[in-house]
Amino acid sequence: MALTRIELAKYPFVLDAAEEVKRLDLDISNLENPNLKTIVDRAINRIEEALATDPPRVSFRPGDEDKEIPSFPVAIILASATNNDYIKRRYALAEAVRAYDLLQFEDEKRIVEIVKVFNWKIRIHKQPVGNRRYGFALFFTHFLRNAEVFHEDEWKLVNRTMVNGEVFLNKREVARLIQEEVRRRIEKRFSVNVRQMLPEAILQRVDNLSKKYADRIDQSRYTAFPKEVINEAFPPCIQIFYGSAKTGTHISHLGRFTLTSFLININMKSEDIVNLFRASADFNERMTRYQVEHISGDRGSRTKYKSPTCETLKTHALCPGPDELCRTIRSPLRYYAKKTRMLKR
Amino acid sequence: MDNQTFIQQKFLEFYEESASKIEGPSSIRQREFGFMIFKENMMVRHKSFDTVDALRTFIKENAPAHAYHSTAYYETPEVKMEDKGWLGADLYFDIDADHIATKCKEIHDSWTCKDCGFAGKGQPDICPACGSKRFDQRIWPCDICLNSAKKETIKLVEMLMEEFGFSSSEVTVSFSGHRGYHVHVTNEAVRELDAGARKEIVDYITGTGLNASFFSSAVGAFRLSSKTSVSALDDVGWRGRMVRGAYDFLSSATIQNLMDLGIKEKRANEIILNKQAILNNWKREGPWRPMRMMGKEELRVILDRVIEVQSAKIDTMVTTDIHRLIRLPNSLHGKTGWLKVCFPVSHIDSFDPLKSAVAFKKGTVTIYVEESPKFRLGDEWFGEYEGQKVELPMAAAIFLLCKDVARLVG
Repeated sequence: MALTRIELAKYPFVLDAAEEVKRLDLDISNLENPNLKTIVDRAINRIEEALATDPPRVSFRPGDEDKEIPSFPVAIILASATNNDYIKRRYALAEAVRAYDLLQFEDEKRIVEIVKVFNWKIRIHKQPVGNRRYGFALFFTHFLRNAEVFHEDEWKLVNRTMVNGEVFLNKREVARLIQEEVRRRIEKRFSVNVRQMLPEAILQRVDNLSKKYADRIDQSRYTAFPKEVINEAFPPCIQIFYGSAKTGTHISHLGRFTLTSFLININMKSEDIVNLFRASADFNERMTRYQVEHISGDRGSRTKYKSPTCETLKTHALCPGPDELCRTIRSPLRYYAKKTRMLKR
Repeated sequence: MDNQTFIQQKFLEFYEESASKIEGPSSIRQREFGFMIFKENMMVRHKSFDTVDALRTFIKENAPAHAYHSTAYYETPEVKMEDKGWLGADLYFDIDADHIATKCKEIHDSWTCKDCGFAGKGQPDICPACGSKRFDQRIWPCDICLNSAKKETIKLVEMLMEEFGFSSSEVTVSFSGHRGYHVHVTNEAVRELDAGARKEIVDYITGTGLNASFFSSAVGAFRLSSKTSVSALDDVGWRGRMVRGAYDFLSSATIQNLMDLGIKEKRANEIILNKQAILNNWKREGPWRPMRMMGKEELRVILDRVIEVQSAKIDTMVTTDIHRLIRLPNSLHGKTGWLKVCFPVSHIDSFDPLKSAVAFKKGTVTIYVEESPKFRLGDEWFGEYEGQKVELPMAAAIFLLCKDVARLVG
């Protein structure tokens, strides 16, 4: 039950990139070829649609499969050539959302066929499961891998129906997971050195596109933290760990790590962090200094460790309960970033 | 002869005979091993062996107080952590009676403050005399504590097999050799799960983040007509678990039980009076919606309690740690002189650690016991002892010596 041409136009990501290029005889260095003009036009158009729509979405144009199908891999190449992270990410998302919208109208059997390329262990399951109907059963490790990025409660494994290693999902949910997988796969296909292989005229068109949307700079989600430490901006969990450290009260290993990595990330000096733990009955200056330096990335593996997220603290029963601001963030550092901005006003 | 030397000698004798019973973990060449050697007080890590025989020889020659292997598989396990090349890890769970509240701990566990010498019973938080948090603790593995750990383990294994779908050949249960149980899952599919995915598994087992409102609404599905013959009690997964748990709780609940959850006496009274009606409703529709006799808050505290009772109390850090070292099966535990013993899932109900984990079965030895509560080993009971000389079977004597409550005489 291979996919029809219309389906390939709807879901071009199922085609293996290298095969496609061979099959369509697409020579990247020859994209100027007038025979390929309509394909290149549509490719540019795909990227532009992604940038111009909000939420981002690429359209589906039925009836023109010969143009539609090859325009996808070409668009990926051209998006890579922008060398602009914002454009690349937005384009990948737009294509993924397109897939999500189109999948809603597909029959379960077609969806399983389309998803074959992902190697998911998924099957159709229409019989009721304990009083409810779903549609699909997906092997739990594949569910976990794809749902990891979703932070809403409904995607937590504990809130799902799972029997015998399979998580039950309805069509909308499967489409949502597919959207995520498509987005990830497209992002993986962006390659760094594609500019040097493209003909000048094509590069021009790519650069014009970038210029047109230059003002949409991706605002970095991380604003720099203030240079001095602002205690009033500590989240509830850090307040407790900090208080415990100052009074020499015992803190669990994860609590100590959270406190230390947090303070390092908000620019507290190593010396001050070491001194913070001095009150502890089992304080060992050499060990503490070593640990602080290790977490900052000054020694050992040279990784600067990020502070654990709220989810992790909750799993290990270290979250003291969220306050108003906690509900809008997902990690102690984000809380601090927001609170310091609020206090400045 | 001092305690340590004696114990070490006995361990040596034991391993001379029984090291051959040690089965290494699968893919032994890819595992890191760690050992705690007597008197050195430091872990020897980053060891690896090409064959299980090499492992057995090492153990025979060194008679470690504690022996461990990694749940993880590495390309080169013998180099330092950042260069080992992590290839994956088995799924591992640890249930320790230390983390389960049992009333008997007040009787048999004791502690001494390291700073001021004040002593007390149970598990301390903070020294009431000087405020210190440093303690010498004496914890005692009694039948009640061990059974509480076993109960949690049974809950865990049920979830792993029915909901996660692992087969009994993939799930190995073992007694830790001290006061808990380990559950080890070997399955290709879970090997490459990252820490985030393992955290989700931990949350499933502990009921963390469980949002009961999803169970009542039509999220993810639409309800079948209520004319269906499937009782809510027969539902699957956490939903079914909660229906049954809530049903059981309310069936046997007293007014006091409800008040202990914070429900006001008047309301608790009403609920108990209307118990049967509520239960009948729950049987049909599940306990998801508040009703006239059961308000939103009351329902919430009951369901929270149900989650607490129905979830398994695992050590969350052990499962999420993808570099964990775990105790080697059929090796001796240096704090008790007992064995970490594996057994099939089907035997869990009848498994008696105080019989099956006994390693030293020959001879007797005379020791002076400072203080020990009553305890059982095998079919025999020993103690209580207080400042007396006794001749004991080897296993009991070594147990008390390892616990550091006794010393050799003569």
